[in-house]
Amino acid sequence: MSTNIQSGSLVQIRRNSTAVPLPHAPAPTSFHLFETELGAHVMLVNGSRVFTISSEIAAALEGSEGDAAQLLAELGLSAPEYITGAPLTDSPIRSLSLAIAQKCNLGCTYCYAQEGGFGAQEKNMSAEAARAAVDMLLSEAAAGDSFNLAFLGGEPLTNRKLLRECTERAVALAQTKHARISFSITTNGTLLTPEDGEFFERHGFAVTVSLDGVGEVHDRTRPFKSGRGSYDRVLANVRSLLAMQQRMQVSARVTVTPANLFLRETLDEFLSLGFHSVGFSPMLSSPTGAGEMGKAEMDVMLAQMISCGEEFERRVARGERYSFLNMTNAMRELHKGTHRPYPCGAGAGYLGVSADGGLYACHRFVEDPAGAMGDVKSGVDVARQARWLAERHVHMQEPCRNCWARYMCGGGCHHEVIHRGRPACDYIRGWLHYCLQAYIRLLERRPEFFYA
Amino acid sequence: MSKSIEAKNLSAQLQYQAFGNPPSTLPQTAISNAFPGLEMDFRNVWKRILVGIELHESSNLVVAVDKSAPPEAQGLAEGYRLMHINDVSVMVEVKGPQYVGGPNVSLPDTTFNDPRMPLEWSNALAVIVHEFSGQMVQCKFESLEDPTKTVQASLMVRPFFDEEEVDGEKVRRAVIAKDIAPPGELTQSLCSPWQNDYRECACFYWAATRPDYVNVEARPDGTSTGNNWMQKDRTPETPNVYIVDDWMDPTLVNYTDLFRHWEKSLRFIIEGKDEEAPPPQPE
Ligand code: SF4
Ligand code: SF4
Repeated sequence: MSTNIQSGSLVQIRRNSTAVPLPHAPAPTSFHLFETELGAHVMLVNGSRVFTISSEIAAALEGSEGDAAQLLAELGLSAPEYITGAPLTDSPIRSLSLAIAQKCNLGCTYCYAQEGGFGAQEKNMSAEAARAAVDMLLSEAAAGDSFNLAFLGGEPLTNRKLLRECTERAVALAQTKHARISFSITTNGTLLTPEDGEFFERHGFAVTVSLDGVGEVHDRTRPFKSGRGSYDRVLANVRSLLAMQQRMQVSARVTVTPANLFLRETLDEFLSLGFHSVGFSPMLSSPTGAGEMGKAEMDVMLAQMISCGEEFERRVARGERYSFLNMTNAMRELHKGTHRPYPCGAGAGYLGVSADGGLYACHRFVEDPAGAMGDVKSGVDVARQARWLAERHVHMQEPCRNCWARYMCGGGCHHEVIHRGRPACDYIRGWLHYCLQAYIRLLERRPEFFYA
Repeated sequence: MSKSIEAKNLSAQLQYQAFGNPPSTLPQTAISNAFPGLEMDFRNVWKRILVGIELHESSNLVVAVDKSAPPEAQGLAEGYRLMHINDVSVMVEVKGPQYVGGPNVSLPDTTFNDPRMPLEWSNALAVIVHEFSGQMVQCKFESLEDPTKTVQASLMVRPFFDEEEVDGEKVRRAVIAKDIAPPGELTQSLCSPWQNDYRECACFYWAATRPDYVNVEARPDGTSTGNNWMQKDRTPETPNVYIVDDWMDPTLVNYTDLFRHWEKSLRFIIEGKDEEAPPPQPE
């Protein structure tokens, strides 16, 4: 036995180990091979486990076809199924986003909320609905539990008074329950005041400012309703917040459309302004189709993302901070081996609340029957939620069922998939493939980044 | 040809079964009796659950007190036991039959000669950890020497789980907090199945996959007779009577015998019976 371990061929090992019966149907893709200058590697889909392997093992895996399960078992790499087809049940709500104002002072061309009103009449959330939402979130809290309350819109700062009231109510309620609560807000930045900054600082808000580029690049997609650009105003407002950041974190979120495909410049400019982090996401589905990214644009975006990633690798290897959010998140998740049957917590631990107190799968589904989940008064519609979780499981999605990225991607943003489909899979897989390579390199060059 | 495999990320490290390692090196196939256990002694996570004092892992005795503990707690290591946390008792009186079909009687704690037994910590502290993590609780202690001597102290329940910062938000991780058990403590009192526990573990405990009741003969009344495998005197002429285990009984193999010469003290059992020629017993 020991001789064959040291000097035998793979074939010998296989003969000597316990046979695993071949599955009858072709098994879904169970691994993804990739290479770096450090060698050959494999990511096993089951458990998102990453290994460096000899080129012989890589070749054997490549040639294994439907036999991979057996080969993996023989190599000591098989594992019980981390993710079964069973939908998530019993998912307590840990996070709510309040569409505290379904109205907006900007007229962004691609906005999912259609200039704030979600295709309906503009309105503010009532104090009553907001209170009921906060109470619903925290009423069952146990000591030590963590919650998040997010303010979105429309532009949430058009209803500043209620935002503050909700925050204070949530803080007080969490205190009586000995639970933890964190806050976040996504804002267009045009209405931000230094007093807002102080309030956010006091409560440790994660403030995300939507910025689509530098100067007129931003102005093209994110103008005021009058048509005037909003960049200068946003920057003037944001600067005072950036200077205040202690507990609060002020980040920039860039929605990538065909009009702003220069990610690297944007990233470096915003980081130099002092944003805590900068993240990008492609515009894949807008109510009118405006600004949606096509295949060619997604290819450009991928190349740009990788260029940003390579800069991240250089900086982090030198021990510098370079807060490219997509990359920091990817490195954290890859290191843990995160694997999940859904893309996000929408409809599970996370729900969106409309101005009228309706519950929806997430902030983007507000006023959308496809994601309706009950309301804050009578609570979550559990039957609807159970159906959602069963239907949205990645095993139920085509072509995800057979995609190597299925447990990292989770099947793509529900909102985009339901309204546009899956036009971005090559981009998602291309990005993950690059991230896997970068992970291997950084683990070698800067292990303390992962094992601090 | 090289078959090298190196587990890189955390999920890979957790699951990888290296060449030559037995299946029991994986979390889901491990022996995982953690009480004390082969991989870790889970009882040790409770020793520091109350900030400032250290409890015995399997009884309610205070074994050490930190200088930082409140003044009223300073003398607790001199023979005090923790009796109540927030009016919840950590001791109970246990009642039950002493033999099959026997009457329910009180089953006292023979170590401290007390009619009450300390509850196992995982059970006794579940509610406290769930509801009072990071908060102060009222603890009542009693002196072993003189139960009328009691001490009340307000102590903090140490948070059990580690926390990490994710995007500026504190998130509880599924990992035991670092200061619940300093490095090495979780593995410092493992099972020793080939030493003490070879003798210690009773019939149904995992380390007890060894002969126990040997040379068994059925009796006409439906009962049986036989020997304890640890019984020293076991010739064909020895009366076939089972000696109930007692580590101090000189007629049984004791711990020292096992440590010094287990290979001489223990005998092979073939088809339930002693092998033919017993080796001579050492002095
Ligand atoms: S959405 Fe695309 S990339 Fe994501 S799991 Fe499905 S097929 Fe794979
Ligand atoms: S469904 Fe899409 S928009 Fe909603 S939370 Fe999930 S990823 Fe975000």
